[in-house]
Amino acid sequence: MTTFKKSFNIKKRDFVRAGEASINVQNILKSLNMDHKLIRRIAICGYECEMNVVMHGGDGILTVEIDTGKIMLDIEDNGDGIENIELAMQKGYSTATEEHREMGFGAGMGLPNMKVNSDMLSVESEKGKGTHVHMEFNVLTD
Amino acid sequence: MQVSADTTQSSHYITFDADICTGCANCIKACPTKAIRLYKDSPTCLTDNCIRCGECLRVCPTGAISTTTYELEALQKDKVSITLVSPVLYSQFKGVMPNDILLAVKKIGFHHAMDLSYYIEMFLYAAEEYIAENRITGQSPWPLISPVCPVVIRLIAYQFPNLLPHIIPIMRPISLLAKEARANISREYRIKKDAVILYHLTPCPAKMVPSRSSFAQENYLVDRTMGIKDVYAQIIGRLNQMKKSGIEALREESEPQKISGNCLLWGLSGGEIAGINSDKTLAVSGLRETITYLEKIELGLFKDIEYIEFRTCPEGCVGGALNAVDKYIAKNTILKMLRKFGLERLIPRDKVLLLYENGWGLSDTTQDELQRIFGVFREHISIEHLKEIEKILEQIQGKDCAACGAPDCRTFAEDVVMGKAVLNNCIMLRKREIDKIENK
Repeated sequence: MTTFKKSFNIKKRDFVRAGEASINVQNILKSLNMDHKLIRRIAICGYECEMNVVMHGGDGILTVEIDTGKIMLDIEDNGDGIENIELAMQKGYSTATEEHREMGFGAGMGLPNMKVNSDMLSVESEKGKGTHVHMEFNVLTD
Repeated sequence: MQVSADTTQSSHYITFDADICTGCANCIKACPTKAIRLYKDSPTCLTDNCIRCGECLRVCPTGAISTTTYELEALQKDKVSITLVSPVLYSQFKGVMPNDILLAVKKIGFHHAMDLSYYIEMFLYAAEEYIAENRITGQSPWPLISPVCPVVIRLIAYQFPNLLPHIIPIMRPISLLAKEARANISREYRIKKDAVILYHLTPCPAKMVPSRSSFAQENYLVDRTMGIKDVYAQIIGRLNQMKKSGIEALREESEPQKISGNCLLWGLSGGEIAGINSDKTLAVSGLRETITYLEKIELGLFKDIEYIEFRTCPEGCVGGALNAVDKYIAKNTILKMLRKFGLERLIPRDKVLLLYENGWGLSDTTQDELQRIFGVFREHISIEHLKEIEKILEQIQGKDCAACGAPDCRTFAEDVVMGKAVLNNCIMLRKREIDKIENK
């Protein structure tokens, strides 16, 4: 099986460069001629997550794994961790509008936004130790 | 000056003079779409990837790069030739009034030289109306993007197709003027529409291939284009002649046109949004800045902004690569002239809104068409290729030196994988081989 894997570092509190990892991922996907709507979803998810790391997390790593049928994003950090994942997931979920979904901001921690834009989302976190967000996106081939 | 041999302008955007080129790689590194390579003796431009931003013209230290322009001698062959003058031209002659400049342009050999003022105001009203409508209908996503800079349209179609729906579908002032001028002149001279030859005098390198303008239906609205710097000397000559024979007397025989301050301001970054009735606007100029902003909009930022004016040339159109005068001097000339002209509008709003409601000035080019025209064909890279590229990058461990003739290591690796370059061209690899031998 052919899988491409690459990692990018995310630096703590580096707001100026926040988003760079997502833009890098975006450029790789563009060079593969992937559907640009799918690329945008992945970029928005990556960016949400990257911002979380920059704001709440410590240093982190964003890893993209590209397969013929699937794209996976893994974002791991050694920051504060999320105390109650269920709450973070629900916070904006109930109020998420169509507009929120398109937006990169404004839906709490952005987890609901990631859930909407990804095909699979799982979050593991331990208070004080860090967070691991795993997202999957299906590539439809015709 | 690169002059096209026959009566049509070349479809090649830029040409390199191999005799002058020193191979410094400045243009290769400056190109935002990585469209230039120097694998052989002379640089080549991958025309499909070129968005005609003119950055290469700007950075070339020897002047080895030129754009095509139109041969002036051919003017006599035209039945009726009209030149549509970019307002940036007024910024090139300090202390000379716009109408005198128009007269000097006409004297080069055109039947008429036309100013853009009215059409700029019409565009501004129409854009304002579109923004106001969008607040209610939400038919286009925020932030709306100005359709004026042709390089931005190409850049979006090429690199940011997700953002095509953000561009407002209103025809640019130059296209509005071209449409009207052709109809009016053909009526006035009682000749066929295609006997009217429209020239556009412009600082914009992107317009040098007129058949590829901004929106699809604007194709061929202008027949031929000329860079300001290519006719600058002639205009100065006519202006001097005019001064000798007394400008006052000449003014009587000319047809003075009303010129508004909005038109003068148009050439500066921010000149467009200054005329737009919304607080939530931004004016961004410069190629790098434009790309950064487009990247951020694609990530979902700037939803709270209603309208963004992008100009890829620094400081706006006064920074256009085909200007004769430095952008800061030109800027000063405009700002000083503005003190005289003020920002009062020449046409009342209601009149334009009536036209607008009837669909006048709206571009009917669909996003699909835009992408088909400007969304350049990209070679397909597979996941396998991507892995090979990464492997080569690791092997090279380069410094993006561009000595191989590609803009950076990544592009070089891509070319190697696609069979367009040889790995042996990398001097970093060779150096390491030599080091190995020496250390043995």
